Amino acid sequence: MTMAEGFDIDHLAKLARLSLTAEEKTLYSSQLNQILSHFQALADADLPATIDDARVVDEAALRSDEPGPVLGADAVTRIAPASRDGQISVPRVVDDES
Amino acid sequence: MADAIHTLSAAELGRRLAAGTLTSRALCEALIARYQAVNDKVGAFTHLDQADVLAQADASDARRKAGQGRGPLEGIPVAIKDNIAVKGQPLTCSSKMLATLVSPYDSHVAERLRAAGAILYGRLNMDEFAMGSSTENSAIRKTFNPWDLARIPGGSSGGSASALAAGLVPLSLGSDTGGSIRQPASHCGVVGLKPTYGLISRFGLVAFASSLDQIGPMARSIEDCELLLNALASADARDMTCFGPSDRALTPAGDAKKLRIGIPKGFLGKGVAPEVAAAVKAAVEFYRAQGCAISEVELPSADLAVPTYYVVATAEASSNLGRYDGVRYGHRSTSAGTPVEMMTASRSEGFGPEVKRRILLGTFVLSAGYADAYYVRALRARAKIRAEYLAALAGVDVLLTPTVPTPAFKVGEKASDPLLLYLEDIFTIPANLAGLPAISVPCGQSGHLPVGFHLVGAPLSEAKLLAAGRLFEAAHGFAHQQAAL
Amino acid sequence: MSTPPSDWEVVIGLEVHVQLHTRAKVFASSPWGFGKEPNEQVDPVVLGLPGTLPVVNREAVEKSILFGLVVGASVPEHCSWDRKNYFYPDNPKNYQLTQKDFPVVVGGQVEIELPGASRNVMGEHKFIRIHHAHLEEDVGKLSHSGSGSLVDYNRAGVPLLEIVTEPDLRSSAEAEAFLRSLVAMLTQAGVADCDMEKGQLRCDCNVSIRRRGAEKLGTRTETKNLNSISSVRDTVIYETARQIRELEAGRSITQETRGWNAELARGYVLRDKEDAHDYRYFPDPDIPTLKISRETVARLAKLVPENLYDRQRRYVDKLGLPYTAASVLVNDRALAEWFEAAVAAHPVNPSGIANLVANDLLRDLAASAGAAGAFDESAPAPVSLSSCPIKPAQLAGLVKLTDDGVISKQQAKEVFTEMFKSGQDAAAIVDAKGLRQNSDTGELEKIVQEVIADPAVAKSIAEYRAGNEKAINALKGPIMKRTQGKANPVLIDQLLRKFLA
Repeated sequence: MTMAEGFDIDHLAKLARLSLTAEEKTLYSSQLNQILSHFQALADADLPATIDDARVVDEAALRSDEPGPVLGADAVTRIAPASRDGQISVPRVVDDES
Repeated sequence: MADAIHTLSAAELGRRLAAGTLTSRALCEALIARYQAVNDKVGAFTHLDQADVLAQADASDARRKAGQGRGPLEGIPVAIKDNIAVKGQPLTCSSKMLATLVSPYDSHVAERLRAAGAILYGRLNMDEFAMGSSTENSAIRKTFNPWDLARIPGGSSGGSASALAAGLVPLSLGSDTGGSIRQPASHCGVVGLKPTYGLISRFGLVAFASSLDQIGPMARSIEDCELLLNALASADARDMTCFGPSDRALTPAGDAKKLRIGIPKGFLGKGVAPEVAAAVKAAVEFYRAQGCAISEVELPSADLAVPTYYVVATAEASSNLGRYDGVRYGHRSTSAGTPVEMMTASRSEGFGPEVKRRILLGTFVLSAGYADAYYVRALRARAKIRAEYLAALAGVDVLLTPTVPTPAFKVGEKASDPLLLYLEDIFTIPANLAGLPAISVPCGQSGHLPVGFHLVGAPLSEAKLLAAGRLFEAAHGFAHQQAAL
Repeated sequence: MSTPPSDWEVVIGLEVHVQLHTRAKVFASSPWGFGKEPNEQVDPVVLGLPGTLPVVNREAVEKSILFGLVVGASVPEHCSWDRKNYFYPDNPKNYQLTQKDFPVVVGGQVEIELPGASRNVMGEHKFIRIHHAHLEEDVGKLSHSGSGSLVDYNRAGVPLLEIVTEPDLRSSAEAEAFLRSLVAMLTQAGVADCDMEKGQLRCDCNVSIRRRGAEKLGTRTETKNLNSISSVRDTVIYETARQIRELEAGRSITQETRGWNAELARGYVLRDKEDAHDYRYFPDPDIPTLKISRETVARLAKLVPENLYDRQRRYVDKLGLPYTAASVLVNDRALAEWFEAAVAAHPVNPSGIANLVANDLLRDLAASAGAAGAFDESAPAPVSLSSCPIKPAQLAGLVKLTDDGVISKQQAKEVFTEMFKSGQDAAAIVDAKGLRQNSDTGELEKIVQEVIADPAVAKSIAEYRAGNEKAINALKGPIMKRTQGKANPVLIDQLLRKFLA
């Protein structure tokens, strides 16, 4: 069975922030390839040009600019896996500051 | 009397509570006793805070005594699928990723149930993040079909259906994205309704596929299902996809015997097991005998429904589940490294295989170079399917099909073939794609296993679906049925 | 240098991120604002807790529409929101809600004014086209501490209007002028406060080079997160020079994302964020398409203030103000309106009023407010006129006294200072201090003659008669002293010349 064109599991795993074992890559690739080939009907179908957006709302659905309740820093840090001084801590972001 | 309590309908319980012949406390104690006896066998619940339940029951009894009962659901337990937020209760979605999360807020439906005086009763097992059709994808425990403990209860609201069929609770909430209320309802011989998209607020429902997800009522009878639906369906400004107050009037039911029923062409041939086909055909004949007009309808794009669904649902899911990264809540991997490594490890440890598969698929169909071929095409196909269903429903009141092609399979039987499982959803998926209300009603058996039939209606035609169900139920013995456990 | 050698042309486009003036966040009802403890402005929706959903803030939409009307853009019938998917610790949902396909504002233009040949001369005007503006949410704030990083989500979900220009700018001076004009328009319409110290305005700067006369654009670089006008200006200068150097050396420009180090005054390449370009945009399924009613647009159109350059032209052409005074006044809408109220009370001398407002009033207000920290460090901070001790009509009264010759211009400055302190009317202060000018010719003549007769000034008189015009000023001091400074200087001058002729 051929791979669905363009399905690069390593690239997708990186985009999705997932790390897969070699077995997982093999298994998922084959399963997803099978699923994608089932989607051939979608590729072949004669479809209308426009996408029907069934739902349009007017300004009544917008929220008024009234400040609402907050969780509080205690609640936020309590559910966070790690925190310090009211902020959520994460490993050092090695970014772009030169 | 205590032995029979768990067999009573919500409507009957409500009558007894109102009459004063039963207290909510006694009711909950009876159900807790049944939970202690039976839950290990069926695995419906992942969590039950007994002290909290009894405190709610006492508060309800006190309200009633003070003449402040809030309505037909006052004092009645409703069990909640573990992807619907209840403040102070776990919100695990049956995933390792959220195993430690306790929700700091109430969903809209939880607020509505509290306002109705109902007892928020425990957390129900499900397929992880609602992805699955058997509840085998739960990372917490297994759930079994009360009618045959070697078989699956269906999914993803497997716990919600199993709890009803096992007499553990009179009412439960499920969620439905591609059939996750209706399919387990069918497998467990109970009633499950997916409302019109936008009727019940999704605020507090952990999102799987935002444009498809709906919360819905599950019960052992049409009357009970309707009781629960009425409590849940209300406007909510916190969900922009939920109908506002002036847009949610349900079409009147009319005379159920005058319903026009459409049978989609070819649907009884699509890999449907003979006994399922027979039970559903018998239901059609019942309606015909009542005087309903039966006709065949064409749904030419039916074959597109499953691929369209899996492209749209996995695309939205891949984005909705992006927030689970171990930073703000939930599981965080102890293997440190850079933030990217931490997020990747947390997600890889926290998600099960089906969730990973769907995230990968969803990421693919949205990715640069492929979004047009897959995602955009799927949206166009969805529009076509919706148009065909609305056109068909212009000429009939409801469409009738089996709910599932085959009855409940054995645990593990389809675990290695995701595609086979996806094809189970063939009858239920279109209602989600088109945003239409749909219901599964018990109609027979395949051997000892329940079979349900499936009705789809035009937007806001819930009353017609319920009326059709009531007509059938009244003449058959499937209402209130429970497995002997 | 701010212009390249004549065979190269620099092309600049800007993306300006502006925090809109609202009380609650754009998709959540949590309040926001500067100075709160970390994570105190976070609710379940902001944090992206499971099950939460966005709801669009009406005020944020209306402020965006108002901006569109201010720049003469078209406000579409519908707009919608899309998800931009990428993982980063400051991004609570790991997608940002933005508008890719159907933004709230399309087109428009901003008039800019370039520096003139000198400070007193108005420079060239030009129009910079706006491509579009879209409404999105801001992300949280990351800070770095030792071996880890910390995240504060107070800023996550703040409404951002991203204003994207066409690549119409051609120099660092134009970029500066554009930002000044934009900030003035945004603040004057009440759309945003643009306070740089609070991070309310950030800019991404796209720069490319091409041979003058070429049609095709060169490869551009994008320098992100500039938070002051000077850093934008310096980035343009630096990047222009760098790209020219590269091209003249025969190398090509790499399309890259860069940062600017203000301390070292140089740009640098940002670490190439892998997958940075695959955001997998798709329409947000939680927010339906929004229909924008024409009634709303018409209502907001009434809130559009006079464009500052239209006002400036009116001041110069119709009120006869010098350019310098006009340009100072129009930079602050409240000040301009205050000025116009004063003119309404005393219409015959707008320049006189402008002079006091643009110099004395502004100076004293700024001193009492002590504020700094605008995005534009070289412009005076907008002042609060609501607590100004002087009312427009009072200032008009002061100028009228001067015009009527009751007091001299010199005295007027003193009176003004006293008015600012006490809030009293000019006339009351003049009387209390007995400042009414001595214009009694008879008494003055006597004093002038006495001073002329004083041997101390004989030398000056001789010099004046010898042709030195300025020597006459030496006599004015003693006369003023004799009259306790109350003598009408014009009259003194006339009498001196008469008697010395």
